Amino acid sequence: MRKTLLFTGVLILACLFFTGLVFATGEKGAPEVSGPAAEKIIKVGFIYVGPIGDMGWTHAHNQARLMVEKLPWVETIYQESVPEGDTLSTIERMIQQEKCDVVFTTSFGFMDGTIDAARKFPNIIMAHASGFKRAPNVATYMADFYQVYYLNGLMAGALTKTGKIGYVGAFPIPEVKRHINAYTIGVREVNPDAEVHVRWIGAWFDPPAATEATMALIDEGCDVFAFTEDTSTVVEVAAKNGFPSFGHYSPMYDASPDYVVSGQLVHWDVFYLRFLGLVYSGILNSGNLENLDYWGLLREGDVELGAKPGMPVNPAWIGRLGDTHDLVLKRLEQMKNPQMVFDPFTGPLYDRKGNLVLPAGARADYLHLLTIEWAAKGVVGPWPNEP
Amino acid sequence: MGFRIEKNPAVPSRMVVFSFSVLSLFLASAVIGIIFLAYGINPIRAYTDVLSKTLGSFYGLSEIIRKSIPLLLCGAGLLLVFRTSFWNIGAEGQILMGALAATWAALFSNFPDFLLIPCLFLFGFIAGAVWGFIPTVLKSRFRISEVITTLMMNYIALYIVLFLIHGPWKGKTMRGFAYTDKFPASASLPLIGNTRIHWPTLIIALILVAAIYIILTRAKLGYEIKVISQSPKAGRYAGISYFKTVFWVMIISGGAAGLAGAGEVAGIHHLLRHPNQISMGYGYTAILVAWLARSNPVITIMTALLMAFIFVAGDTIQLSFGLPSQIVNVSTGLILFFLILSEGMMRYRISWKSKEG
Repeated sequence: MRKTLLFTGVLILACLFFTGLVFATGEKGAPEVSGPAAEKIIKVGFIYVGPIGDMGWTHAHNQARLMVEKLPWVETIYQESVPEGDTLSTIERMIQQEKCDVVFTTSFGFMDGTIDAARKFPNIIMAHASGFKRAPNVATYMADFYQVYYLNGLMAGALTKTGKIGYVGAFPIPEVKRHINAYTIGVREVNPDAEVHVRWIGAWFDPPAATEATMALIDEGCDVFAFTEDTSTVVEVAAKNGFPSFGHYSPMYDASPDYVVSGQLVHWDVFYLRFLGLVYSGILNSGNLENLDYWGLLREGDVELGAKPGMPVNPAWIGRLGDTHDLVLKRLEQMKNPQMVFDPFTGPLYDRKGNLVLPAGARADYLHLLTIEWAAKGVVGPWPNEP
Repeated sequence: MGFRIEKNPAVPSRMVVFSFSVLSLFLASAVIGIIFLAYGINPIRAYTDVLSKTLGSFYGLSEIIRKSIPLLLCGAGLLLVFRTSFWNIGAEGQILMGALAATWAALFSNFPDFLLIPCLFLFGFIAGAVWGFIPTVLKSRFRISEVITTLMMNYIALYIVLFLIHGPWKGKTMRGFAYTDKFPASASLPLIGNTRIHWPTLIIALILVAAIYIILTRAKLGYEIKVISQSPKAGRYAGISYFKTVFWVMIISGGAAGLAGAGEVAGIHHLLRHPNQISMGYGYTAILVAWLARSNPVITIMTALLMAFIFVAGDTIQLSFGLPSQIVNVSTGLILFFLILSEGMMRYRISWKSKEG
């Protein structure tokens, strides 16, 4: 009883102390910062699907936001872990209460909410990542990795000794299928008999499931690993068992410098800076975004090959890659070329059932890639919705 | 002069309950204020800002009302069940089953347009009621604890929804993403003006609160619940079947949660998406809504609004001051913690002892 009493007393004292503190700080009242009268300030709101500390998708967008904020004429705010059903409310709050001029919604599930908000606020500029619905004041944008996955596939094909490569996928959706297909096309280019074994974990963030999937793939005899999900689990588990792997999304070189061969890196700032620059200069406005569907690849600079910026291939692995290293660099240059003289999805391409999916000489267009459901030759494992 | 703390046998009066709750809110704000200070934010300024952007703005108020709708439906239903000491932790799953049934009605039923919305709610109610009914059967037949079964059935509902959106119900217009197709316009609930308040669900919720009030005060079922809540044994001697009573209250409670789910998909989402995005823990928060309202269903209107306010205030503060969402969650957790603490404290009193004593 005495203890409870003591505790209550301490609590009350703490509160009194705090109240005093508040009034002490409150009275001073920090003066409002008034910088040099800038001509025009653009206030930008970012809506994130996850927490900014997720080391994946949301983290990458937030890193870009921090770079954007360095511009003298940009101010940013963000809301993280926004439920999809709250998209419209959050945009409304950003516009009405926080006076945003531009809103970026950074996940597919925000699509309908963004379009509804755009109808409600026709003068506000919005852009939605990874979706396909636009409006005069809503653009869409995406940075896609398929070309980088293809390059990593070339390396994986050269490195495998068992001829089996492990791939951990989040969900069997077109984005992930596109990655696996591009990777497999790369693998088969250098190693025509190699297989890519796929395991789905049904989550973007689930380290235990990713660990289990990687262990199962090791048991199947896989000796090189890649993945599309939002953690570095596959890299860590592969390294623990002495197998090379490829990082994804965030720089994962430091997670295991001895075993990370290369990987995919994203630079969302490339799009954000370009887009906001055009908004600032008045070229883009709330009436002309209907046909702006930005699709950032190697050529645009939105994505980069490597497990660490500025290091396309881990130097420790260049020797083991042999001739393939030169092929990787050559293909990289070809895809960076303004004419994009090479693309992995070029016909003739057959799916794993033997159907012709791209005739000779044809290149998969944007819609084909966005809605891809077929499985490339060499993919092994379940493939929901396979045509 | 000394004093000691002792258990207060008397039931706390309304005044005590109210003042303790308000006091606990103040204490919570004080502790949260310390967190704000650590982030270099002046708490007084933060609180005035939050109040002006929630209670002081039309937009903020409309969002509070919108978020209170599912909480009210589930909370009022749970209040009824908890009176019988049947611990239904399964409102979350009952919401999802309601959402699922409403989605079926909206997308695959081919009901004529004018019947669609009533059918959405009817199917939602039935699905939630069935989901609530199963644990009562398991308890009456096999004596399996309802705490376990209702909780586990939440996960079953969650995985059923996941299976459907990744499998047979995956929308053809969604380009491979795991969502159903959008509902037709005739299956979308009307909204109040420029807000996002889907008023049909709100009205159903208010009617439900009134109905539960009448059940508890006027109906035979209410009388039986009262007897059981005082003493199940006495109920048995009076010829009141415990399980029969529980069946009925669980059908009402599960059905109410199902209605909440139907309202969410038809009023907010207009499609079926990842289960965690549909319910967001309303079913669990509703336990608190019911509990804080004690035994009076009318009070759930206040407690549901209070919970909704806490959530909307959290969103506002994150956006206005750039606080990490985790810190915002800690803050809402602290508020709930203090509210629960105050419940316990009401049951004690301080007795002053004179020098002689």
